[in-house]
Amino acid sequence: MLFFSYFKDLVGREVTVELKNDLAIRGILHSVDQYLNIKLENTRVVDQDKYPHMITISIFDWESVDTSFKILQFGLSVRNCFIRGSVVRYVQLPPEGVDIELLHDATRREARGG
Amino acid sequence: MATEEESAVKEPLDLIRLSLDERIYVKLRSDRELRGKLHAYDQHLNMILGDVEEVVTTVEIDDETYEEIVRTTKRTVPFLFVRGDGVILVSPPLRTA
Amino acid sequence: MSWAGPEDIYLSTSLASYLDKKLLVLLRDGRKLLGILRSFDQFANAVLESACERVIVGDLYCDIPLGLYIIRGENVVLIGELDLEREELPPSMTRVSEAEIRRAQKAEREATDLKGTMRKRMEFLDLD
Repeated sequence: MLFFSYFKDLVGREVTVELKNDLAIRGILHSVDQYLNIKLENTRVVDQDKYPHMITISIFDWESVDTSFKILQFGLSVRNCFIRGSVVRYVQLPPEGVDIELLHDATRREARGG
Repeated sequence: MATEEESAVKEPLDLIRLSLDERIYVKLRSDRELRGKLHAYDQHLNMILGDVEEVVTTVEIDDETYEEIVRTTKRTVPFLFVRGDGVILVSPPLRTA
Repeated sequence: MSWAGPEDIYLSTSLASYLDKKLLVLLRDGRKLLGILRSFDQFANAVLESACERVIVGDLYCDIPLGLYIIRGENVVLIGELDLEREELPPSMTRVSEAEIRRAQKAEREATDLKGTMRKRMEFLDLD
């Protein structure tokens, strides 16, 4: 429940969600559920020049580098989206949304089986 | 009493608990490695790391010679949530004492 | 389980706010489906009505009609609400027939396969 609670507190902030298919989507965190499914608003696909590795072929069956480019193109017309928790690799967090002391305490509580 | 309980190592995740606020090494699927300060984790090995350095290793095939070119891409991220299902291993910092 | 109640569906992560809307469903194999969401559950299993697959190869594209699709949630990467005013693809894209897009797809696949095959041949020669 630690991360579910954490992400709930993060609602309204801008995050970058990086997926296992190497797509990265930036947007305002709209909501999150217990599976860590995520809804983003005002989404935009992250500039691929900045993240050259984002367009490499991933563990999934992308046919070629070009295919991912097309998905990027496609992303332009999607303004808000639901991302299944299981396809998330990373979420880049805003520094002002990270309270280190709070996280340490919550983690120790969780580790004790709380 | 409480401190005794805190430092007891009975299961693998206890070692991760002892790495809180320390820099750890994380190896992930799809040839990714992270180094960063551990700020939070849970039983799935979901984590939040700080001052993260990510190294991605990719193998490309040269268009002309068909030789394999191994490239590593580095980047740093201030704070990163890492989903536990991609974690292969976690290595705590080496203690010299 | 705290699945969305009717009063908070627009604030929840449930797909309820997407019901009866035209959506893009991105699948794990990279396919892109368009359709109207008629039902879903907690696994993100989804029922799409008037579904079609949008195949894009280079500057060519085609929407291939599929009918009613029940998608297993596991394979869903992302479900996005389409901005209907901006759904149109860039003007450089040309709509072609299904037969044509399949041909283009095949040619593209063969080109990438060739690269892999060449590499295997070179390994066989063991140039070191």
